[in-house]
Amino acid sequence: MNNDLLTLAPLITIVFGAIAVLVSDMVTPNRNHAPIAVALAALGATAALLINQGGSTASALGGSYVAGPFVAFVGLLGISIVAITLLIAPAYLAARRYPTAELAATLLFALAGAILLGAATDLVTLFVGLELMVIPGYVLAGYAKRDPLSTEGAVKYFLLGSFSSAILLFGIVVLWGVAGTASLSGIAIALSSGAANAGLAVALALITTGSAFKIAAVPFHYWTPDAYQGSPTPITGYLSVGPKVGAFVLLIKLFVIALAPLAALWIPVLVVLAAATMTLGNLVALTQSNVKRMLAYSSIAHTGYLMVGIVAAGAGEVAGIAGILFYAAAYAFMNLGAFAFLTALQGRPGATTQLSDLAGLGRKHPRMAILAVIFLLSLTGIPPTAGFFAKTYVILAAVQAGGPATILAVIAVLNAAIAAFYYLRVIVYLFMRDPAEPAVQVAEGPMLRAGLLIAAIGTVALGLAPTPIIEAVVQALAK
Amino acid sequence: MPILSLIIFLPLLGALGVAFLPSSRPSLIRFAALGVSLITFALSLGMLLGIRAQSGEFAFSEQLSWIPSFGITYHLGVDGLSGALVVLTTLLSWICILASFGPIQTRVKEYFISFLILETGMLGVFLSLDLFLFYIFWEVVLVPMYLIIGIWGGADRIYATIKFVLYTLVGSLLMLVAILATAFSHQAVTGSWTGAFDLLALRGTITDPTLQILGFAAFALAFAIKVPMFPFHTWLPDAHVQAPTAGSVILAGVLLKLGGYGFIRFAIPLFPDGAHLFAPLMIALSVIAIIYGALVAIVQTDLKKLIAYSSVSHMGFVTLGIFTFNQQGVDGAILQMLNHGLITSGLFLLVGIGYERTHDREIAKMGGWAVRTPVYAALFGFFLFASVGLPGLSGFAGEFLVLLGAFIDNPMVAGASTFVMILAAVYLLYMYQRVFTGPLSPFLKGLGSHLTDVTPTEILTLAPLAAMIVVFGVMPSILTSSFAQSVETFLMSAISVVGQ
Repeated sequence: MNNDLLTLAPLITIVFGAIAVLVSDMVTPNRNHAPIAVALAALGATAALLINQGGSTASALGGSYVAGPFVAFVGLLGISIVAITLLIAPAYLAARRYPTAELAATLLFALAGAILLGAATDLVTLFVGLELMVIPGYVLAGYAKRDPLSTEGAVKYFLLGSFSSAILLFGIVVLWGVAGTASLSGIAIALSSGAANAGLAVALALITTGSAFKIAAVPFHYWTPDAYQGSPTPITGYLSVGPKVGAFVLLIKLFVIALAPLAALWIPVLVVLAAATMTLGNLVALTQSNVKRMLAYSSIAHTGYLMVGIVAAGAGEVAGIAGILFYAAAYAFMNLGAFAFLTALQGRPGATTQLSDLAGLGRKHPRMAILAVIFLLSLTGIPPTAGFFAKTYVILAAVQAGGPATILAVIAVLNAAIAAFYYLRVIVYLFMRDPAEPAVQVAEGPMLRAGLLIAAIGTVALGLAPTPIIEAVVQALAK
Repeated sequence: MPILSLIIFLPLLGALGVAFLPSSRPSLIRFAALGVSLITFALSLGMLLGIRAQSGEFAFSEQLSWIPSFGITYHLGVDGLSGALVVLTTLLSWICILASFGPIQTRVKEYFISFLILETGMLGVFLSLDLFLFYIFWEVVLVPMYLIIGIWGGADRIYATIKFVLYTLVGSLLMLVAILATAFSHQAVTGSWTGAFDLLALRGTITDPTLQILGFAAFALAFAIKVPMFPFHTWLPDAHVQAPTAGSVILAGVLLKLGGYGFIRFAIPLFPDGAHLFAPLMIALSVIAIIYGALVAIVQTDLKKLIAYSSVSHMGFVTLGIFTFNQQGVDGAILQMLNHGLITSGLFLLVGIGYERTHDREIAKMGGWAVRTPVYAALFGFFLFASVGLPGLSGFAGEFLVLLGAFIDNPMVAGASTFVMILAAVYLLYMYQRVFTGPLSPFLKGLGSHLTDVTPTEILTLAPLAAMIVVFGVMPSILTSSFAQSVETFLMSAISVVGQ
């Protein structure tokens, strides 16, 4: 029992951290910094525990929770995402009189879900982790409760999210029934010996559909643009990164581990979904003039690139999973960085950011604009940034896998060229157009600046010296 | 001392230094940038002198482990071919920086930072021997050039710069897939990632026929867009016309050479079988580029556009020479690259000098310029005759050798291309006649005393180019002997490897 508690320590710490955040807000109701400080402390403690556990594997709860390097990687990535969000959000929320403490607590609960998801070894724990991670997302999407757009987005997100959870749950239940076990590795063993049957086909179809909803793959993506546009900008940043990374952990567990014997069946489906996702995401992003909506569609495109990794992993390349993990890390820094930049531009309540608002910003706020350029180049995939190396890693895995994955690799790079057009267009506005009148206000407090800086350092460091993360990733996969 | 790293990263360090200078002191920034580029130039000259003293195919080799999980190394080396191109780059860089002193008056600091980063990227491409490293520098070149055209360019600069980036990016991304496929096939055959991205380890080992064909196609597309070969040339006139003078000079002088260099250093040695398969197509496209570029140049009404199309024609000789796979052809192709770098850069500088005074490049408005500015007209005439291929000036030797090589390969091709040397005379001399001879045009007359002759600074930017054009025109053997070893190795590596 004691051992169980030790193994579960990160999870317990984060949940108690979330409660402590709420308590601290009750004790000092009007001080926004107190809950943030408590939350950051909880994140730090959890990070230390995770690093400590990263060296070896240990199981708890009768083997349904396995701590080890994989959880450590997923958890630390989640902690980075939550920490950056907590740094960039308070000023934005305070200007609009939205509370900060609830945000911090909600994010910590979601993080607990992500850690559980990373550690889960059976279907039930997996599903509980998933729900624990996404339900806070519904709350966050509706955070601006006086804004009808936010409420609309949250309702859509909630309805479609619950709907897809139900579909996924049906699939999981059928799979459990067919395989006769809920253990992920047990399912793989059961499926590799048994012949395909109708129940399995139903399970596969339901799980694929449910998962595609969760990662917002085309054509199951319709909830994303509304949910992203309606949410407060820093929360959009979190929603476009956190739940997405978590959903890919789910995909790794379900498809690459449990359904591995059926790879020949689901690979063609995912190839088509991935190609459609990146192409449609990029083409629609091309037509957007609102920067936030453009980033929302571009995040759909990035889902497509991540799916390339799943396809490669399904074809038996461990590098595929490694590629997904590296991509997730790079994507977290660069996309949150881009949203942090956007947050800084929307200091005043009611501010929206059109491309034309960015005109001439490079002259007035050169440092801010250069940071934006770093994030945009990384999202485009230009070396030497994290985004370039991430794309390379995923494509390398796809080329290794061969067959349909190679075609997908070619589609992915052609998509990168399409994406270059709209990312670079932002740079055009920043540096090559004359300033707009009236000029956009830039609000950057010390916390926002710290968030931007962490994101920028992550983006550049992962590009110049990817070796430490590669080693961490490879270690995370070596059981 | 790691002299190659020093040469590559000195401009980048210079850019960082310039970033800390106050924007309010533009002349300090200008001279700092000039100083950095001159030191880089001096270092590269020292490197060139040192190459022969070193043994082995590549001199001053540096190899450090960088991403060991995939066998990616930081591997640099220089031979006669890349050495000559490095010196061309460092030479044109300081000339361009000097030539930008007058024309660039807005955002001076950002401009010189971009230019120095661009120099680092170009030098890195020429000195990398690791495919991954090469690719990174290849893409790094893109960003500063994008900014230089997009911020300091002409009226349609944004269209031109995005077109430039997208064209280049499509080609280079497919090349990235090919690089990864090559590396993986090496890993699959040898069972280890060691050397999977190393040019020297990979050369001659790719025996998979499919990879030979697809790999060559992907590399060739990237390089063909950069050269640019017909029909991938359409970004070039736009980029040239919209770029500021120094941007045009670097574009014509160095960036186009990245394509030719890529063929000789990477595409053909790695994929000789693919190269031989595609050679007839490449030769046909080269001949089309040579003729088409010249024909289109005749009807141009804009001076810069005319020279841009003449570049398409001249660079056609480079690809034609490379794909003859014989010594004369390849010698000629490399000579043509270097000479085109000197001559066309001079022409773009001269067009820029004229533009500074007239703020116009419309040929129809000009006329009789020689009356007012005899030195300018004489210099223009000198570079123009070099471009036509007048024997005794350097433009002649390269084209002559390429045609000789083409004749050995296929007399029909050589015949068709020789005809174009007459067309070059037509479009250049016809332009010269309209712009410089006859009575002074009303437009130029209207400029009054603004129409001054070249200044000493401008002569300083042109003089080194003119001197080298004469020297290499009289004694092309100085150059050919310096890269003879590289050509020999290239011809050896261009032999089929599949089925051995």
